[in-house]
Amino acid sequence: MSVGLPSDEVAEDYKNSLEDLTINSRYEISNLTVIAKENTEHAMAISRVLENHIKNTPPDRKLPALYVLDSVVKNVGTPYTLFLGRNLYTIFMNAYSLVNNQVRRKLDEMLKTWKEPVPGSLDPRPVFPLETIRPIENALIKARTAAIQAQQQQQSRAQQEAMARTRPMATPNPQWRNTPTPPQARGPYYPPPQQMYGPQHVPNGNYQAQPQYPPTATYPVPPQPTATIYHPPYPQPQVYSQPQQPPNSSDPIHQDVEKLISAARSEFSSNVNDDSLRIRLQALLALQGALKSQTLTPQEFQAARNEVARLFAEVYGTSRPVASAPPRTPIPPTYVPPQQVPQQQRPAQVPTPQNPDIQSLLSSRNLADIIAKAQQAPATPPISLLPFSQPQPAPQNSSIPSLSANLGDMLASLKSKGILSGASITPVNGSHGYAPPPAAIQTPPTVPGGFPRPALVNDVEVISASLKRPRINLVSTLYESRPNQCSTCGRRFLATAEGKERKARHLDWHFRTNQRLADSAKRGQNRSWYVDELEWIRSRDNPEDVPLTDASSDAARAALAASYAAADPKNKHIPVPSDPALANQPCPICQEKFDMVWNDEVQDFVWMDAMKIGNRVYHASCHSEVKKEGGTTPLRISTPDSVLGKRKAVGDYNTGNAKAVKA
Amino acid sequence: MSLPGLDLSAPVETVVTPTVHELKEQTEWRFEVAYGTKVEVRLLSGTAELFGTELPIKQSYTFTGTKAAIYTWHGCRIEVVGDCQVDYIAEETPMMIYANLHFALENLRDRANSEGIDGPRVLIVGSENAGKTSLVKVLTAYATKVGRQPVVVNLDTKEGMLSIPGTLSATTFTSVIDVENGWGSSPMNGPSQVPVKLPLVYYIGLANPEERTLIYKPVVTRLALSVMNRLQDDGEAKETGVIIDTPGIISQGKGGYEMIQHIVSEFSVSAVVVLGSERLYSDMLRRFNGQKTGTGETIAVVKVDKSGGCVDRDEAYLQQFRQFQIREYFFGDANTTLSPHTQQIDFHQLTIYKLAEPIDDLLKSLMPGDVTEDSTSAIFDKVRPSPQMQNAILTIVNAHPEDTQENIRDASVMGFIYVADVDEKKNKLKVLAPVGGRLPNKAIIWGSWPEGISDLM
Ligand SMILES: [Zn+2]
Ligand SMILES: [Zn+2]
Repeated sequence: MSVGLPSDEVAEDYKNSLEDLTINSRYEISNLTVIAKENTEHAMAISRVLENHIKNTPPDRKLPALYVLDSVVKNVGTPYTLFLGRNLYTIFMNAYSLVNNQVRRKLDEMLKTWKEPVPGSLDPRPVFPLETIRPIENALIKARTAAIQAQQQQQSRAQQEAMARTRPMATPNPQWRNTPTPPQARGPYYPPPQQMYGPQHVPNGNYQAQPQYPPTATYPVPPQPTATIYHPPYPQPQVYSQPQQPPNSSDPIHQDVEKLISAARSEFSSNVNDDSLRIRLQALLALQGALKSQTLTPQEFQAARNEVARLFAEVYGTSRPVASAPPRTPIPPTYVPPQQVPQQQRPAQVPTPQNPDIQSLLSSRNLADIIAKAQQAPATPPISLLPFSQPQPAPQNSSIPSLSANLGDMLASLKSKGILSGASITPVNGSHGYAPPPAAIQTPPTVPGGFPRPALVNDVEVISASLKRPRINLVSTLYESRPNQCSTCGRRFLATAEGKERKARHLDWHFRTNQRLADSAKRGQNRSWYVDELEWIRSRDNPEDVPLTDASSDAARAALAASYAAADPKNKHIPVPSDPALANQPCPICQEKFDMVWNDEVQDFVWMDAMKIGNRVYHASCHSEVKKEGGTTPLRISTPDSVLGKRKAVGDYNTGNAKAVKA
Repeated sequence: MSLPGLDLSAPVETVVTPTVHELKEQTEWRFEVAYGTKVEVRLLSGTAELFGTELPIKQSYTFTGTKAAIYTWHGCRIEVVGDCQVDYIAEETPMMIYANLHFALENLRDRANSEGIDGPRVLIVGSENAGKTSLVKVLTAYATKVGRQPVVVNLDTKEGMLSIPGTLSATTFTSVIDVENGWGSSPMNGPSQVPVKLPLVYYIGLANPEERTLIYKPVVTRLALSVMNRLQDDGEAKETGVIIDTPGIISQGKGGYEMIQHIVSEFSVSAVVVLGSERLYSDMLRRFNGQKTGTGETIAVVKVDKSGGCVDRDEAYLQQFRQFQIREYFFGDANTTLSPHTQQIDFHQLTIYKLAEPIDDLLKSLMPGDVTEDSTSAIFDKVRPSPQMQNAILTIVNAHPEDTQENIRDASVMGFIYVADVDEKKNKLKVLAPVGGRLPNKAIIWGSWPEGISDLM
């Protein structure tokens, strides 16, 4: 269980980690990126620490430090881009002034990538706004020009000055020993002010030839074992896109889970009404998410591996060798499924509402089954209006670890960390251990079936005296009469067929949301503009669990929306192209980018006012404008200004409930 | 690499041992968590709810900057990790009365359904820190729990509902209220674990509505009109009715009571619920008891007990809370990170209206007797950006930049922008906006509330 830390502690930790970053290690840089990502609430503190570190660290460590910055702004983005963008000029120029030519070249490359979108990202915006980058570029150009001029006149003096200084390096860098010409033999390097900037850009090149400053020898590039090097953004975006890949990413468990998922998916698609199949699929997807999130402890990872191996064997009939797994612990025969404990200890006159077959639970070594059973647990036993009446807390059976229980725990812990929030991933032992305070022992409910069946006469009036009289029985309308509870958000449903239907829709909503959440982490999200009065009056909250049986009104609504959409080209939309090349292309007519919004109806991000013709995407409004003017091939149009104004209105569409609002 | 407390390859094991609290039925655990620290709470067994919203078993909730209570009808065990500033178990709570109020409203809703009339419009009044918002939340949570769709209205500019302070808003609730974070989140262009809510927002720009009745009253009227329109358009909302939260200051008598009167008539309030104060109760009885609403119903006035858990929130806490709400608007909460956009804008591209200074009493005394505030003072002054605007929150409203002052005042809010920098030499503003792209060509209001925030970015 993680405990939130105050900002200064996080900052202190981050600072210490940065100080350990001496070489260009991809692993460490990735780690620092992940930490930044996980602690965006402390982004300001982390950014400050990073900024100070870059400023204060010795020149030979500035490049790795800047790579951290680079990685954070590209992989996490805001709010870091905002915080680090503020003093970017100082951060960058200060570092640039103190490093050698080779490193400067790297910094030049890095700076170039900051003017462009993150490779592979759907966000078309540059890493930093151009107004942040431009002053840096201007300063570099100015400095280079100045350097060329100054160099002519002051070359010899500069050399002397440099020779005269002593290099204030505290600890000798062991890497120097590997260099053919130890820098000590060459004399210290301390760039005179006039020569600060990028001699490698001096066109005539004679600056580089100066014997005093052999860049490679003076400031050795960090050792470059290829596997551990953090690759700067370009030209290897593929390395970059997976900064969090830890060593175990190649574990066969990933393929196995993938296979299990696709098997479960096809089974589910042919039988969509089967809840157990859906739950199984959800559980597997949740598990996959957890594995990919790379935050499992070794124990959890092992537990997951065991489960997957078992499921794999079950589904495919062949067992996979479980690498490095301990021999499977046979479940001791005395194992009592946790959720059964309370019932067994209930006083005898309380009949168990159901009689779940313990043996079947035991023998069904099936993750999905277990999760499904756990899911039903909240309804069994029914919550009594009177205090829970189990005399003793359930005995902890933690000494009898069950693999499934471990997995349940693991999923629960993931959920508690916000990594998972699968609707149906109820920890298997989640419902044991009802332990009422001893004082609460009272007569257990005597109503048959354990349900209290008080007369639910609601006679409360809005009169002060009437409000004062306790009517505890009425509270059951909030709890007991809705025994079917969502284990993720606590929402309750009636035990009727309609309640079941609503709950299924509700769980589907959680499921979809979790998938979207996983996707959305990669794209920048933002607050939408608020709706205006008319939109609000017409809007209907579209609760995920409204039955779709009301087809007539739904159809009418859809027809209405469709007729609006057909009338207005601005309402045409297409899914955001998955091809990154296409996704970065502007409209060929007006050369502007497309507006990306979330569309509830299609449950995906879409480009508004867009249509695809052949291999190009156009603004629907631009295209129809051009067609109106008689052009058949919009590509020829060179004066886009006439249609520019049209598209701006689309921004109003940008609400999270586009569907509900427009309908 | 040493990452004390931050090593992600293994989950952070707590150094703090979890505390387990055992609550008897109908008791509550009250707790306060400072900003900057976090406390995690899990329900281990039994049932529990936070302001009426139920916590599922084993789900972990993280609180920061919170003063709240977890109540149990049936008894429960909760596990707590982290340091609370204050925490204790209270046996005496007014929850039974609050639940009864809900049941009483349910009766009225059933009647509304069978007779085709409007559901109850409930106004909650009481002094500052009487627990008005908590009661509104309980009533809202219980209503949605039994499948109703209440329209919830916030008329308190000290804290925003699904918005920032300084605003009034209305929202229908159909899904669960966020447990960890106030009322939850307004729409974003992406998914949210707790369903987003869709508010209609108006801007007041003042901490105290009595400061400028010229602003507050007409905007309340406008908001009420939208709500009434919604009720007529939306059967579920009509049947469930309206729950209205108010600022504590209007319960202090004098001009405040005029404001209550105004709200009662604009929203056709059918029940006035007084929290705590005996004196306020008798004042409200005198004023409203037996009166009829516009639709001919008799207005009920009832008193319910204040919770002993209500604590005075000092100004330092409230200021942190306001900043938190602003930060959350732009950057999201602990569960969702949002990416606002910065941009440079030329001064001339924005049309900014500043709330005009009210005419003070001295000046008023110099004017002829029949001149009222309404007839003399402008609502706004059109202003050019200036360095004073740095760190200010500006409000974009759904009105044309050159619309009349009244229309601009009454227009609903589109969103907020933050002034990060004012460059007078270049005539440029650097602003932070929630949504990218060119700012909409609308009127912008610069109010005095909420105050600016210096370290937003
Ligand atoms: Zn749920
Ligand atoms: Zn176009």
